[in-house]
Amino acid sequence: MNKGLLWRGLLIGALAALAAWRVWPLRENVNLGLDLQGGIHLVLRVETQDAIRAETEKDMEVLRREAEDEGVSGVVTRQLDDTRFEVAGFAPERLEALEKVARDWLGGGWEWSREAGKLVFEMRAVNEKSLRDGAINQALQTIRNRVDQFGVAEPLIARQGIDSERIVVQLPGVDDPERVKRLIKNTAFLEFRLAEFPWSGYGVGSREEILEHYGGALPPEIEILPSEERDRATGKLLSTSYYALQKRRVITGRDLRSASPSQGQLGQPVVQFMLAAEGAKIFADATGSNIGRALAIVLDGKVVSAPTINSRISDSGIIEGNFTSEEVLDLVTTLRSGALPAALTYLEDRTVGPSLGHDSIRSGMRAGLYGAILVVLFMLVVYRLAGVNSLVALALNVLLLFGALAYFGATLTLPGIAGIALTIGMAVDASVLVFERIKEELRAGKSPRSAVDAGFGNALSSILDANITTLIAALFLFQFGTGPVRGFAVTLSIGIFGTLFCGVFVSRWLFDIFYVNRPRTERISI
Amino acid sequence: MEILRNPNFDFMKYRRIWVGISFATIVAGLVGILFLGRLNFGVDFAGGTQVTVKFAARPDVEELRALVAAAGFKDAVIQRFGGEDAHEAMIRTPVVGGSEEGSAAHLIEALNGRFNGGGGAADLNQIGSASLAELLARTDPDGVGAERGPAHYGAVAETVMGERKTRGLFTGWDEVRRVAGLSGEAAAALERGARLGAFSVLGVENVGPQVGAELRQRGVLAVVGALVGMLGYIWIRFELRFAIGATMATLHDVLITLGIFAWAGYEFNLTTVAAFLTLIGYSVNDTVVTFDRVRENLRKSRSLDTVTMLNRSINQTLSRTLLTGGTTITSSLCLYLFGGDVIRGFAFVMFVGVIVGTYSSIYIASPFALLWESWFGAAKRARGTGAGAAAPRTAR
Repeated sequence: MNKGLLWRGLLIGALAALAAWRVWPLRENVNLGLDLQGGIHLVLRVETQDAIRAETEKDMEVLRREAEDEGVSGVVTRQLDDTRFEVAGFAPERLEALEKVARDWLGGGWEWSREAGKLVFEMRAVNEKSLRDGAINQALQTIRNRVDQFGVAEPLIARQGIDSERIVVQLPGVDDPERVKRLIKNTAFLEFRLAEFPWSGYGVGSREEILEHYGGALPPEIEILPSEERDRATGKLLSTSYYALQKRRVITGRDLRSASPSQGQLGQPVVQFMLAAEGAKIFADATGSNIGRALAIVLDGKVVSAPTINSRISDSGIIEGNFTSEEVLDLVTTLRSGALPAALTYLEDRTVGPSLGHDSIRSGMRAGLYGAILVVLFMLVVYRLAGVNSLVALALNVLLLFGALAYFGATLTLPGIAGIALTIGMAVDASVLVFERIKEELRAGKSPRSAVDAGFGNALSSILDANITTLIAALFLFQFGTGPVRGFAVTLSIGIFGTLFCGVFVSRWLFDIFYVNRPRTERISI
Repeated sequence: MEILRNPNFDFMKYRRIWVGISFATIVAGLVGILFLGRLNFGVDFAGGTQVTVKFAARPDVEELRALVAAAGFKDAVIQRFGGEDAHEAMIRTPVVGGSEEGSAAHLIEALNGRFNGGGGAADLNQIGSASLAELLARTDPDGVGAERGPAHYGAVAETVMGERKTRGLFTGWDEVRRVAGLSGEAAAALERGARLGAFSVLGVENVGPQVGAELRQRGVLAVVGALVGMLGYIWIRFELRFAIGATMATLHDVLITLGIFAWAGYEFNLTTVAAFLTLIGYSVNDTVVTFDRVRENLRKSRSLDTVTMLNRSINQTLSRTLLTGGTTITSSLCLYLFGGDVIRGFAFVMFVGVIVGTYSSIYIASPFALLWESWFGAAKRARGTGAGAAAPRTAR
C-alpha cells in the first residue's frame, strides 16, 4: 500500500511539475485567440467563375485564330455561358479540319458535339475543377505574398475545407483593417496601352467629344477609358476626363520584373519599375516607333496617367499618377505579389481591437477568480477537512488545464476563459459525488476506511457517465464552432479529463495518505 | 455539514403539476420567439455589420441613433457598451441589400463627419501602425535619414499604437507626449501633422447574409446532434425510457432557457450557441447521476414500484444535485456579474440554464421516464411480449 502511495504521489507530482514548467511564464506559453489579442479574421470567396470564364474566352480565341491559320475561313465564335461556346460559319466540308485544330490546340480540356452547321464546345468537368483549384491556389499564394510584405507575425492563410471556394485569413495584431482588406483584394491589373485620341496630352472632358471625333461610332479595336482626378488629402473626386485607347495592350503587370516606390522630379510619389527581358523588347519596339504619342498607364480599368513618349524606352520606367505615398506603397506591394486570378469577395470580416481583448481578459479572469474563491469557501463549509481535499484537486485541475493548453498549443479565447471559470464550478462535481457517497456509507454504519473505499467505488460510474455526456456536447461544439467557440470546446474537453484525473485519482490518493497512518480512525471530517 | 438529513420528499406526487408549469413556460417562450420575434439575433446569425466605438466623451445614444438613421441605416441597433465611464457604444446594422461586404466603412465615415468634422489630416485615434510609421518617416522628425527611417519609425509607431491599445483612445496630446519611446520632436511633428479624433474604433464585424444563414443551420445541427448523441449514449448505458426522460429534460431546459433568454433581450450569437451546448452537457450530466442511482436501486430490489423507486433515487441524490447546482450557479453568477459585456449573454444562459437544469433533474426527467414507461411499457405487456425483469411494474 505504501509503495502504491509513493508511486501515485510521484506521478501526480511529476504531472504537476510538468504542467507548471510548460506554463510558466503564462503570457509567453499560452496562445491567445484573435478575440483576446486583437487582429483580423477574414473569410473571402474566390470568384472562380471569373477564371473559368476567362479560360473559355481564351480557348475560344485560340481556336478561332488557329482555324483561320489552317485555312478554315469564316469561323464565327460565340460564348454560350461560363463553360460553353459554339463555333459556326465554317464550310461543312471543313468540319474535320476544324475538329483536328480543336484536338491539336485545346488539348483534353474540352469535349464537343456536332450540331447543324456548328460545333458546341463544353469544358470537361476535370478541366473545370483543376482551373477552380488552380485559381484558389494562386489566390492563396498571392494573398500570402501580399500579407508577407505587410509584415504580419504568424498569419494564417488557408482554404476553408478541401472543396470550398473560401479562404480564411487570420492576422493577429494587425491594427489597420481597412488598409489590409484593400491590399488583399486589390486586383491591381496594370496595362500600358497606346493612345488613339487625343494622340498626346490630356484627356478630353466627355465621351461624346471622342465619339464625335470618330463620327459617332467607335472602331472595334478602340475603347474609351476614364481618368479620375482626386484630391490628395480627402480623396474627393475633382474631375473626370476620357481617353480613346487601343484595346491591345503593349505590356501588362505580368511583364514587370520589379517595382519599387520612388520620387518624381517634383518630389511626388511614383512607382519605378523594371521590365523582364521579353517585355522589355516589346516595350522598346512600341515606344521607339511611337515617339510623340501618349502611352496610357491603366490600372484596374482606369487611366492613371498618359505621359507622352519622348524617346525609346527599353527596360525601366516610372508610373506617375496622382498618388499618395501610401497608395504608391500599396501599388508596389500588389505589383510585386502577382495578379489575382479572380476577384475576391469578403463574406465575413471581424476585427477586434486589442483594448477590447485586454478588458475581456481582465474581466474574465476576475470572474473566474471570484467564482473559484466562492466555490472553495462553499466546499470548505460543507465538507470541512474533506473540502481541503477537493480544494487541492481543484487547484491541480486548473494548473493541468493551463499546462495542457500550453502543451497542445491550443488557443485561449474569451469563451475559453468562460469555460475555465465554469469548469471550476463543475469540476467539484466529482468531489461532491464521492463525498456524498461516503457520507451515505457512513450512515449505513461503515467504518471511515471502508466508507471511503465504497464511496469512490460506487461513485465512479456516475462520475464517468456525467463526464462522458459533457464530452459528447464538447465534441459537437468543436464540430460546430469556428475560432472562439472551438477554443471553448477545447478548454471544456481538457477540463473534463482534468476533472476525472483530479476528482478521482488525486482525491483518492489524498484520502489514502491521510489514512495510511491512522488505520483505526473512528471519525472523518466530511 | 449535512445539507439534508435523509430527505424523503414525494417529488413524484405532483408531477403532473410540475410538467404543466414547465409546459406553460415553454409555450410562453416559444410564442415570444416564433410570433413576437423576441429572439435578438446578432450579426453572426442575422448577417450585417457591428461596430464598437469608444468615444472621448459620453455618447448620447439618441443622437447616435439619429445620425446612423440619417446615414441610411434604418433598423440599426445602438446600445451602450462596457462600464458607465467607458464611453463605448455598439452600433449594429442589418445586411444592406447588394453589398456583401458590409457597411462598416460607411458607418465610420458618418461618425467622422459628425464628430471629427469630416476627416482631413491623419487621425491618431484611427490610424494603424503601418500608416503612422509612414507618416513619421515622411517628415523624419528624429533625423535618422531615409535609410534607417522605416525600421526606426516602425518601432516608434508600434509603441504609440501599443499605448492607444491599452487606453483605447487618446483624449489629449499630453497623453501622446508621455508615451515612452516617442521623442519630443516626433511628438511635436505628430501634433502638427495629425489630429486626435473624438473616437476610436474598437472592433468591426461584418458577416455576409450567406455566412449568417450557414451558421444558423450549423448551430441548429450542432444542438440537435448533441441531443441525439446524448440519447444514444444513455440508451446504450441505461434503457430507452431513461434516455427519453433525460433527453426530454434536456430539451425542456434548452427551450425554457431559450425563452427566458429571448424575453430578456440578450444578443443571440455564436457564443450563445456554445453556452447552450454546454448547458446540454450539464443538464444531461445532472439527470444521468439520478438515473445512475435508479439503476443501482433497480438492481438491489426489483419488487418496488417505479414511482417509489424514482422518488427514493431522487432523494438519495438530492444533496449532490443541489450542491453541484449551487457551485455551478455560483461560478456562472460570477461570470455574469464580473465577466464583462462580451460574455454576459453566455453567462446568462448558463446561470438560468443551470437553475432550470437542476429543477428538471428533480421534477421533469423522472416523470418523463415514467410517462414513457406507462405508455409504451404497458402497451408492450398488453401484447404479451413482457417488459422483462429490468422494467418493474408501474404504479397507478
